[in-house]
Amino acid sequence: MAASVIAAGVLVGAVVAGGFDWSRSADELDAALVEARPTRVADIPAADGLPERGVFAQVTSTGQFCLSDAPIDAPLMGGGGCNSVDDPLGESAISASLAFEGGPAIETVSDARLIGVAASGVSSVRVLMSDGSSRTVKLKRARVGSDELRVFGYRIRKSDLKKGVGPVAIVAYDSGGAEIGRQTTGIG
Amino acid sequence: MRKLVLLLALTAALVFVGAALAVETYGGPRYWNPGDSAASSWQSGWTRNSFNKAASGYETTVTFIDNVSYSWHATIRNRDTVTYTNWWSSQVKKAHCMANTGYHWGGCHAS
Repeated sequence: MAASVIAAGVLVGAVVAGGFDWSRSADELDAALVEARPTRVADIPAADGLPERGVFAQVTSTGQFCLSDAPIDAPLMGGGGCNSVDDPLGESAISASLAFEGGPAIETVSDARLIGVAASGVSSVRVLMSDGSSRTVKLKRARVGSDELRVFGYRIRKSDLKKGVGPVAIVAYDSGGAEIGRQTTGIG
Repeated sequence: MRKLVLLLALTAALVFVGAALAVETYGGPRYWNPGDSAASSWQSGWTRNSFNKAASGYETTVTFIDNVSYSWHATIRNRDTVTYTNWWSSQVKKAHCMANTGYHWGGCHAS
């Protein structure tokens, strides 16, 4: 399995000089995201008549590691989340974003997707659904600077959404099957 | 075809930079409790919406709401330091943000 490499090292100087002030720097981060080269680290396969999308990683001059879910040909036109490049997982074993179109009532959601990163010690990830069932998520390797991570993209089945079934948590397990991370989520 | 795609991407990036220069803070910066939300004015020009926090670990949602069906578009929910989305539509819309969990500092911005 080939690993994607997101070059963080070359930006270290800019990171130190730039920084990120949450209270005022929305415009700075917006501009930094446009400048930062997006690296496609995982895919969300086409399904249910919906097109394939990409999972893109960026390291910005403001010192952020950002992961987004975007059209394959337009990596800057999606959405996602950013954490400090020094802590891309936000002090957790797993960090995920839920993206959806439509709603907020789940039955009116036309597309819902999960993307995320997990620590190298994560062996598997499952999505827990509101009906008590769970779904397995495929993991890929990616390297951010010296950190080796696992990345994923997953599309919620349209048949689930139509039944009012949505994701309620993303859970990370180690190789022994023990839970080592959990993030709650939900539509609406 | 490749040149056309590159040209479109460049144009989009330039538009994006232009939009980024006109950021409006519509929620906070302030302390957020679970369930708190905020919304911008209605405009057709909004394309970007973000919730910037002082720390990661707090679940937040950003979305756009159109003024016809009041449906949500390009919604993103996560617990990262920054939760952001883009919706490239000419529809009249408002940016909306919500704190799913608390208690934390943060601000919502649209452009």
